[in-house]
Amino acid sequence: MLTLLSMFYYICLRRRSRSGTRGEALTSRRAVESGQRAVLPVSVEVDQYAKEVLDFSSHYGSENSMSYTMWNLAGIPNVYPSSGDFTQTAVFRAYGTWWEQCASAPPPFRRTPKGFHSQDYIELGFEEPVYPTAVEVLETYYPGAIVQILACSYNPFSQNPPTDVRWEVLWSGEPTKMLTPQARQFSPTIKHINFPTNLLRLEVNSSLLDYYTELDAVILRGVKERPMLALYKMPVIDISDLSDSEEELSDVGGPFRDSKHQRTGNGYFDKLPYELIQLILSHLTLPDLSRLAQSCKLLHQHCCDPLQYTQLSLQPYWGRLSDASLGHLQSRCTLLQRLNLSWTGNRGALTLTGFSSFMKACGLSLVCLELSCCHFLNEACMEVVSQTCPGLQELNLSSCDRLNSQAFTHISKLTRLRRLVLYRTKIEQTAILSILTFCIELRHLNLGSCVRIEDYDVVASMLAARCRSLCSLDLWRCRNLTDRGLAELVSGCRMLEELDLGWCPTLQSSTGCFQHLARSLPRLRKLFLTANRTVCDSDIEELAASCLSLQHLDILGTRLVSAASLKKLLQSCPQLLLLDVSFCSQIDMRVVQELSGSFPNVAIKKSFTQ
Amino acid sequence: MLSVLSYGRLVARAVLGGLSQTDGRDYSLISASYGFGKDFRKGILKKGMCYGDDACFIARHRTADVLGVADGVGGWRDYGVDPSQFSATLMRTCERLVKEGRFTPSNPVGILTSGYYELLQNKVPLLGSSTACIVVLDRRSHRLHTCNLGDSGFLVVRGGEVVHRSDEQQHYFNTPFQLSIAPPGAEGVVLSDRFGRVTSDLLNSILETAQTLRAPVSLVTDLTVPPPPPLRVLSSPEAADSSSFDVQLGDIILTASDGLFDNMPDYMILQELKKLKTTNYDSVLQTAQSIAKQAHDLAYDPNYMSPFAQFACDNGLNVRGGKPDDITVLLSIVAEYTD
Repeated sequence: MLTLLSMFYYICLRRRSRSGTRGEALTSRRAVESGQRAVLPVSVEVDQYAKEVLDFSSHYGSENSMSYTMWNLAGIPNVYPSSGDFTQTAVFRAYGTWWEQCASAPPPFRRTPKGFHSQDYIELGFEEPVYPTAVEVLETYYPGAIVQILACSYNPFSQNPPTDVRWEVLWSGEPTKMLTPQARQFSPTIKHINFPTNLLRLEVNSSLLDYYTELDAVILRGVKERPMLALYKMPVIDISDLSDSEEELSDVGGPFRDSKHQRTGNGYFDKLPYELIQLILSHLTLPDLSRLAQSCKLLHQHCCDPLQYTQLSLQPYWGRLSDASLGHLQSRCTLLQRLNLSWTGNRGALTLTGFSSFMKACGLSLVCLELSCCHFLNEACMEVVSQTCPGLQELNLSSCDRLNSQAFTHISKLTRLRRLVLYRTKIEQTAILSILTFCIELRHLNLGSCVRIEDYDVVASMLAARCRSLCSLDLWRCRNLTDRGLAELVSGCRMLEELDLGWCPTLQSSTGCFQHLARSLPRLRKLFLTANRTVCDSDIEELAASCLSLQHLDILGTRLVSAASLKKLLQSCPQLLLLDVSFCSQIDMRVVQELSGSFPNVAIKKSFTQ
Repeated sequence: MLSVLSYGRLVARAVLGGLSQTDGRDYSLISASYGFGKDFRKGILKKGMCYGDDACFIARHRTADVLGVADGVGGWRDYGVDPSQFSATLMRTCERLVKEGRFTPSNPVGILTSGYYELLQNKVPLLGSSTACIVVLDRRSHRLHTCNLGDSGFLVVRGGEVVHRSDEQQHYFNTPFQLSIAPPGAEGVVLSDRFGRVTSDLLNSILETAQTLRAPVSLVTDLTVPPPPPLRVLSSPEAADSSSFDVQLGDIILTASDGLFDNMPDYMILQELKKLKTTNYDSVLQTAQSIAKQAHDLAYDPNYMSPFAQFACDNGLNVRGGKPDDITVLLSIVAEYTD
């Protein structure tokens, strides 16, 4: 009896003492409980549609249009719950793996972390900052492309300059593909974060999809007041969270544990040959490499060896890269050949000083530089690139739409350029002509949606004169290329294998330009004549006769092509893999099914609006 | 002394208030639409605001109220093209442009130009042509900005009288100016109007636009033969007639396709409009319905001397009776803005 009582008393005492030490956390809980007794107001969930599209990496539509452009993602949905290929949705530039199969696509960078699948992104601003409880994406065509949703601590509509910009991953997943292209409301379970946000970023990967994915609207649901601890589930501390922290990347040069404690050395590890350890380390991702460098002197030496840094992709870490990070990596990048800084440095994370000191350290051996969507770039940065990277062969400035036209004049100093991507930039006529005059080794040129170029015929003529080894040319949406320019182009650039003339309204088939093209370019593998309403049977028949290596063909939207000529084409071109006949009035679903049955290796695309 | 100053201030404020042209209130349009398609079999099942080959829209934006009417040219039917697709898509696109604020209230031609440009950005290969009439009320400045391409049009009625009307634009009798997307090879032929309605300015602007679009254009001077079917007519949005003027509270604006104006003369329309007393939506709708119904009845009256028949006779064609056509009536009344 006494022992029972004493045990009981002991347990009570323990409990009381415990509550004393964990005072702070529990006083708040007590406060909440007492508050609840006093009727706490229930947190109201607020639903918001996006107010404004702030940034994106690409889109299908034209720069001053509201058809198939990214700006359609703001505001209320226009199409949902209908499914189909509508003008009022947001569509990205590419889908599937077709573009990766082209010669113009760069090989992937080593050390890409397994969890990073993003190919395109879009950033949306909302009216009110809230603590998000749900994010819903209304996808209206071929859903399944969203791979990451992130939230930012910075308010894009505030007048203050960005300080301490933090990006938090709300949800991350694998690229998927649905069984049908029908619309769906995508609402993944998101992580709870501890700051209010009104800036979301969606990252997409459409590589598994059969056609362009289309998004209609995004809904941000959240609460205005910070959720109470009692009602708020503490996020489980994830090991992967630790590996994503900023400190790891910036602390790279930090002190390592002294090996004085270990008399036995590294065991048998240091008996391995140098090259073998290098080989093992070459499979680690960058943060792991940085962490490993802190473990012991030997591994520090290995991890900081410039041979490990011949290829460096910082794109997966775009949210955490800063001038300091570049500074820490500088010493190891003296042998750098391929550098990917795409998507990095926005909102003040990278500046001219950090960038130029990095380029000065590593530019000499640099061969490939990816600077897609780098909005920190300015004319001075381009000048630095032209001065520090004399051997540069590949330069990607895709969607650097804030770069002013003067900046492009420096590119003509990079005379060894073989691949140049200027998609959606503000380059002007004089700059491109100057580049084409000096960069005569160009193999791959992308001038898609370059709206500031006044006369594409002159550009084509210059290409024909100077860039004889041109292998791929992207003139997507070039608004004034005519048959004269095209004729000069195909007679001068005989090695052309890929030609994208989508949405070029001024090319008329009646001038015979497409037939001349087919006859002049027997090695043609990719030809896009998207939305050229004049493509006719004779053009297809000429392609069938002359371009036997054809692999990708897009003739969307013409009324003049019949099933018979397509059959001839499919018979003559055994290597054909992609044929887009969407909105071709003479080609209906029955014809598509019949042709798909006879030619199973060809992916015949027929989009619908319904 | 003090009372003189305060009294003076009051007087000054009153005078200045009276002198100021516009009062602080915003205006808005209470609008209703009604119409009949020519072909009964098509039914009224088309998505709202489409009557046969006609289409219209009513759009509200923070800064302006916008109305539009487009009359699809029926001749395309003979070439296997549905004429209502062009006019309906044009009006839907202009409506969307207004709702998203991609327009300037003082430039209705800009709405038409942007709308036409967006039609060309559609993956679907649209063909067809239509007239277009756009009316924009700028809420703050109380000005009505209009543009008209073709033979649709508008009337502004104040105190029982027509104070403004649109000018009809026709190349030839029954061949109005029209916005078109033609099949390849048939892009455009500009006709000079034998009635001298195409001024050199207009002609130059059409040629200029054709040049920027790199559309083939030829000038036809042989006017003895009427033009071949609508495939051969080019008009650019810049060819639209535009005008701007002030409106007052209570002004009635009637925007309609030629199906109304060809069947009902002005005095009949004014008679019907007299019955519109209040500014609520139901009475506006009722009046629009009665006008449309009356025009519809007159259209099928074989003995009635319609304005269309009158004009035909003036041009040497012996014609009598109404003109069966799609009829679209958009009736609006200027009122104060309430949200």
